Amino acid sequence: MKVFVYNSLKRGILNGLSIILVMAKVIVPCYVAIEFIKYFGLIDIISRFFRPFMGWFGLPGEAALGLIAGYLINLYAAIAVLTPLNLSTKDITIMALMLGISHALPVETPVTQKTGVNGWVMLSIRVVFSLISGVLFNLLWKLF
Amino acid sequence: MEIILTALKDSLSLILKLFIIILPLTISYEFLKHKQSQIEKIRFSVFGITHNGLVPLVTGIIIGLTYGAGIIIYSIRTSNINKKEAFLILLFLSVCHAMIEDTLIFVVIGANGFILIAFRFALAIILTYLMYKSKLLKEHTQTDIRS
Repeated sequence: MKVFVYNSLKRGILNGLSIILVMAKVIVPCYVAIEFIKYFGLIDIISRFFRPFMGWFGLPGEAALGLIAGYLINLYAAIAVLTPLNLSTKDITIMALMLGISHALPVETPVTQKTGVNGWVMLSIRVVFSLISGVLFNLLWKLF
Repeated sequence: MEIILTALKDSLSLILKLFIIILPLTISYEFLKHKQSQIEKIRFSVFGITHNGLVPLVTGIIIGLTYGAGIIIYSIRTSNINKKEAFLILLFLSVCHAMIEDTLIFVVIGANGFILIAFRFALAIILTYLMYKSKLLKEHTQTDIRS
């Protein structure tokens, strides 16, 4: 029993450390990049460009950066991008919902494909439902 | 130069916060792994998903697709899961996966966790039910078998 607890603890801590290492490799560069984008005033340009699209989800234009980072890289990248933007609870909740359904697509699509299910079907389902749930959630939030 | 330093400092504090959340998860996962044989004894069938799909389903919901990939692929390939059931499982998981980790890391930066979990579960259940009932799925699985 003692050995079992010790082994499980050890494996758990090692797994946790290796996940943190993966996260750090993504979070630090993304965080630095977004600070630079903010510093050079690019945020306004990007934000203005995406404002019409992000309006459907009730999000500010700059949140598009988090959405793109989450879709293409992973959730940790999205968090690194979103944290310096200081969004409201509602905005973060909508982002979390959309990104939770659809993220790290280049990595997770091959995984779903290996189970024998068509990867492209799954990919389109995830992106479409991510967008639909964002719109839906925005409407529901306004209702209550 | 100053921006890089602030960015580094802020990102490290974010990583530390996330680490505090992830460590208990990875440790409890190691303990839960030994319960797998007990989970496999359960028998049920809802919306075209049977007890065969329980292990990949629970794995996906709890730890997600990236880290759970090994277990999900292995259990779908080795147990009696047909194309339709595998599709339904992945459909459910596509909306509703890594529910603990994903939710907590967004709660750290200010999201409402209860709303997130409730909305994703509800959406996944509705979606799986509709697909289970729809004719679309039958066509899809047939083309899959041919190709």
